[in-house]
Amino acid sequence: MAEYLLVRPVRLSLETVAVQSGLHPELVRRFAALSLLESTTDADGRLWFTPSAVAILARIQRLRSGLSLNYAAIGLVLDLLDRIDVLEAQVRSQRRWT
Amino acid sequence: MATDFYDALGVARTASADEIQRAYRKLAREYHPDVNADPGAEERFKEISEAYQVLSDPDQRKKYDRFGADFRRVPDDFDERAHAGGGGRVRYAQGGRQGGQGFGGGFEGIDIEDLLGGFFRGRGGPVAGADQEAELELTVDEAYRGGRRHLTLAGAAERGYDVTIPPGVLDGQRIRLAGQGGTGSGNAAPGDLYLVVRVKPHPRYRLSGRDIHVDLPVSPWEAVLGATVPVTTPGGEVKVRVTPGSSTGRRLRLRGEGMPNPKGKPGDLYAEVRVMVPKKPRKRERELFEELAAVSDFDPRSS
Repeated sequence: MAEYLLVRPVRLSLETVAVQSGLHPELVRRFAALSLLESTTDADGRLWFTPSAVAILARIQRLRSGLSLNYAAIGLVLDLLDRIDVLEAQVRSQRRWT
Repeated sequence: MATDFYDALGVARTASADEIQRAYRKLAREYHPDVNADPGAEERFKEISEAYQVLSDPDQRKKYDRFGADFRRVPDDFDERAHAGGGGRVRYAQGGRQGGQGFGGGFEGIDIEDLLGGFFRGRGGPVAGADQEAELELTVDEAYRGGRRHLTLAGAAERGYDVTIPPGVLDGQRIRLAGQGGTGSGNAAPGDLYLVVRVKPHPRYRLSGRDIHVDLPVSPWEAVLGATVPVTTPGGEVKVRVTPGSSTGRRLRLRGEGMPNPKGKPGDLYAEVRVMVPKKPRKRERELFEELAAVSDFDPRSS
């Protein structure tokens, strides 16, 4: 008989993310509502985040303070930066012949 | 900061407020640490932000023009004191930060304080630093052997690292130096510094993943009769047996002689036979080739 272990997915609560990023939970909630942060809602209506949320929140703040972008623009910039990361990784893996 | 604010933004001392704003916006987009992972970018970004903070404020700009780098130490009421001989302080209106003015609206009323504040001075809570990326150029031999290497990253504050390179790193692989990236504000964690490995092209070795390809030049008689010839590889010289009847293009595989692999099987080394002929055969050699030509019925184009 195979045994199945209950594995808790790695996810962070709204409060944890807020503490780790030094932001007010309401602001984090607002970022989630603006879809700047990926989040899931459980049956009780609680918000859950991926561990990368803290790094993304830092990036959001840097983009906002450094380039005075509004939140709509930040969403676009985050998406574009992610796409560039993927493309650059592809270019790197294709350049195998030295 | 040592750099002149006008130089930092690349504008003339006579530049208009518009020109200053244009130069700043352009540079800020280019050097923002989330857009530009270069280790020098963050420093440059701070420099242009500081320059803009001063030059976009008419009062501060006037002061900077007059007193240069020490302008901050000059009291606000310098002129009053000078004229009044120290007495009769006149209070300048403090408020009215030039904030919204330079931004032409549309930016949710962010003022310059906001622009710099949270990011560098720790206001508005700690923000973790951005990750940075730098290239680490290695020769094929260095990538093969690995080992320690001292690396300096240029910039106003030059940084030096002793990096341990694992043997068998490949082009494009990233070495992570935790906590060596952009500085966080407040007591937030710094970002990481990633060194992206670039393996320099080698005149003899060509890399394909972990496999190394190398040409194996042989004489016509070695190719026909077979021979054991030495080949230099990154791991040292090895002897390769060329089987009799090897034409150009035949590949000899030396199992495990390619790039080492810290996590498993090393790559292979492929030596590719290339038949070379003497450019200027001596008289006797020529005679023998002529004799061979007369005797042989080998036709390389027959198949």
